[in-house]
Amino acid sequence: MLDMTDRFTARICSWTTAAVLLSVTASSAFGQGRGAFTPAKGWDGHADLTGIWEAFGTAGDSVEARNAAQGIRATLGSVTDPPGGLLPYKPDAVAKRNANFKNRAQLDSVNKCYMPGVPRLMYMGYPFQIFQSSKFVIVASEYMHIYRTIYLDNTKHLEGVDFYNGDSRGRWEGDTLVVDVANFNDQTWFDKAGNYHSDALHVVERFTRTSPDSMTYQATIEDPKVFTRAFTITVPMFRHTEPNARLLEYECQSYREDEAAGNPR
Amino acid sequence: MRMKNGLFVIAVALGVGIAFLIPTSGNGQDAAPKGDAPKDGGKGGFGKGGGKGKGPVVPAGPMPRLPDGHPDMQGYWNGPAVTDVQAPGRGGAPGTIVDPADGKIPFTPAEAAKIKETREHDAVDEPTLHCFETGVPKNMWIQFGFQILQDPTHFVVLHEIMHQVRIINLDNRPHIPANVHLFQGDSIGHWDGDTLVVETTNHGDKNWYDDTGTAKPQTVHVVERFIPVDANTITLESTMTDPTAYTQPWTARVTLRRANAMMPDGSRDYEQMEFACVEGNADLDHYTEDKGGKKKVVRVPTAKQ
Repeated sequence: MLDMTDRFTARICSWTTAAVLLSVTASSAFGQGRGAFTPAKGWDGHADLTGIWEAFGTAGDSVEARNAAQGIRATLGSVTDPPGGLLPYKPDAVAKRNANFKNRAQLDSVNKCYMPGVPRLMYMGYPFQIFQSSKFVIVASEYMHIYRTIYLDNTKHLEGVDFYNGDSRGRWEGDTLVVDVANFNDQTWFDKAGNYHSDALHVVERFTRTSPDSMTYQATIEDPKVFTRAFTITVPMFRHTEPNARLLEYECQSYREDEAAGNPR
Repeated sequence: MRMKNGLFVIAVALGVGIAFLIPTSGNGQDAAPKGDAPKDGGKGGFGKGGGKGKGPVVPAGPMPRLPDGHPDMQGYWNGPAVTDVQAPGRGGAPGTIVDPADGKIPFTPAEAAKIKETREHDAVDEPTLHCFETGVPKNMWIQFGFQILQDPTHFVVLHEIMHQVRIINLDNRPHIPANVHLFQGDSIGHWDGDTLVVETTNHGDKNWYDDTGTAKPQTVHVVERFIPVDANTITLESTMTDPTAYTQPWTARVTLRRANAMMPDGSRDYEQMEFACVEGNADLDHYTEDKGGKKKVVRVPTAKQ
């Protein structure tokens, strides 16, 4: 049994390890290095993605390269295709992004505790836990207890409905979990900086293990109403290895009410 | 969903408003679902989350088992909609308490006074109105179904309402530090033969046991026993112990029934839908003041503002 000091040290070591792994695995995480690591199999016979994971880096601030701003870190961006770090906005779509950024305190629906959408849920800065079965993969986030069910039963997207977090249908391509996400509304953004999409959003996610405690998350995004072409963002993710790690809660609406009542706690 | 706001209003009306006013059967009196034999033979096992094809997912008979021999309770389930945990419930509903025998919670005098105050003046604090998670043990007793997912070290309950997820760790870990409070509490489980025993501590202070003001103390220690009866039935006994609030432990018993269902169009097995609550919550507008006029809703910008 570790005492609290040891646990704290373990936690620090875990994230130090994560930082080292990030540099060591950078080539595979951002390049074409898939296949260099063979993950253990889970009890469902597929690559084991289970555990508590968290994105590393600035995608939650801005998926696009930009300067720092209030509450937003400077970033070279998470866009790995096309090159250059920028999103392929249609010329008349940039103005809305700029207005979103300027008025983000009011317009970012996450500030009202709304669901963040996909892919933002995966890298917005909260850990999430993955559970696997042969019929679906569950992704449960610490943020607002949101969970995604990724169906693996070859079913098609539902018709005539849309969702904040979309409708997720997945399949295994070797050791990579590939998830097709559609049926979005237009109420969510990609990040804090106002990068946005329409209800024509279509996302294809790829979860690929890159080491015992890391994986690469890629999202290829199409939205012909907003962008001139598809683009791909790539985000490294690391496993929480603290011995007492568990998902806790960020019950956003409760804290907002406490603040509004003059009773922050 | 595209009809989200409308659906939400309906959902809240059904789940809260009507539940608040109309008695329902307090102890899951609905008949077990019937249907054709399963096409997949009701295969259980780790990673076999539910079945395929038309008809019931799991056939009548004993509860399936996982490869490690433990009962396989995976799939979709419904609990009863408990509006009043104590007997007699509204309209004479039987309540859920089997111990003590009178069906009443054995409150200490101080706790009884707190509950009376909550019932008379704090209807606006009903947690579901605020889109809060329902917490343990109420989350197993509410309208809207839930899904169970198991692996060797987790028993996971995925609710449709509030898209709340409850992760029960089965790895004998200690509870989290006592000053950390969670709406779902900290649940740690173990197997006692075929019964899953779950101990939950570290509760939040905004949860009730039911819809009628029976507030739950943060200090309560909840022990739930998930007892498989047959493939489609679980008896759930929840025992609440808290010497600061109750003069003796008390136990509620409800029946969980498997939802062997397809989606309405028959195209696929049942799937839970996204439950947007905060995003469309206009319901608090109906509760600007409680019926005693004593307490007002705390206003935060809502979807309408």
